[in-house]
Amino acid sequence: MSEKKHPTSPHLQIYRWNLSSLTSILHRATGALLYVSIVAIVWYIVYYTYQINIAESVEDCDCPLRAILDNLFSLAAIGVTFSLYYHFCNGIRHLFWDIGKGFDVKIAKRNGYLVLLCALLLTIATVGTVIYLKLF
Amino acid sequence: MSKIKIAPSTKTGAHHWLMQRISAIGMIPLILWLVLSFIKIAEDPQGYLPVFFAYPLNAVMGILLIIASMYHGSLGMRVIIEDYISNKTKMHFYIMLVHFISITTAVAGVVAIVRLHLIG
Repeated sequence: MSEKKHPTSPHLQIYRWNLSSLTSILHRATGALLYVSIVAIVWYIVYYTYQINIAESVEDCDCPLRAILDNLFSLAAIGVTFSLYYHFCNGIRHLFWDIGKGFDVKIAKRNGYLVLLCALLLTIATVGTVIYLKLF
Repeated sequence: MSKIKIAPSTKTGAHHWLMQRISAIGMIPLILWLVLSFIKIAEDPQGYLPVFFAYPLNAVMGILLIIASMYHGSLGMRVIIEDYISNKTKMHFYIMLVHFISITTAVAGVVAIVRLHLIG
């Protein structure tokens, strides 16, 4: 071992899957995904701002590639939406742990399921709202 | 396995930990604003999006959200990098890279929102 080595965390394959490891790993994964997507969204806002003519720049074409890209984009948007809600809900769970509440195994387990359920329901509600508003 | 070396404390972890929590608490109202605005935008994207940041509240909340999320994201990505990259030179390089990306993105985003606010 050279002096330059910094100790690393045990890698993910080493854990036996259960609810607490799932919620913890998902918190990190969604956090990293959100970081990357927020950077992309902000640069999109910058691009949008400096377009020469905002009104004329919305291109419409019927090419199949465009449709596939749009569908992929919608899927990605649903993933980012879920990540945001999950990280938000589980972040609040973490803040409660920080003030010393919810450490009891049963309560921690129940709150873990609650966080997953809330994130799923909020995602479904958001996607539902968007579909409803676009169709009607 | 005769001796186990324990790395000395760098005395900076607690500050990092605290800042992560403070930025998290600060982002709770900002995320609620984001979700509510998103639903408003979805109702009429063509009409509402170009003038969205003309409203002072939206401009202020948008700028705060960009700064807070880039800050919170830098702290979080730093922890992930520290946990999984063992080579110290690479580790510091990636941490610097994340800081560079975060600061550049935040500044560019704020400039764009100020412009949208003024022309909107």
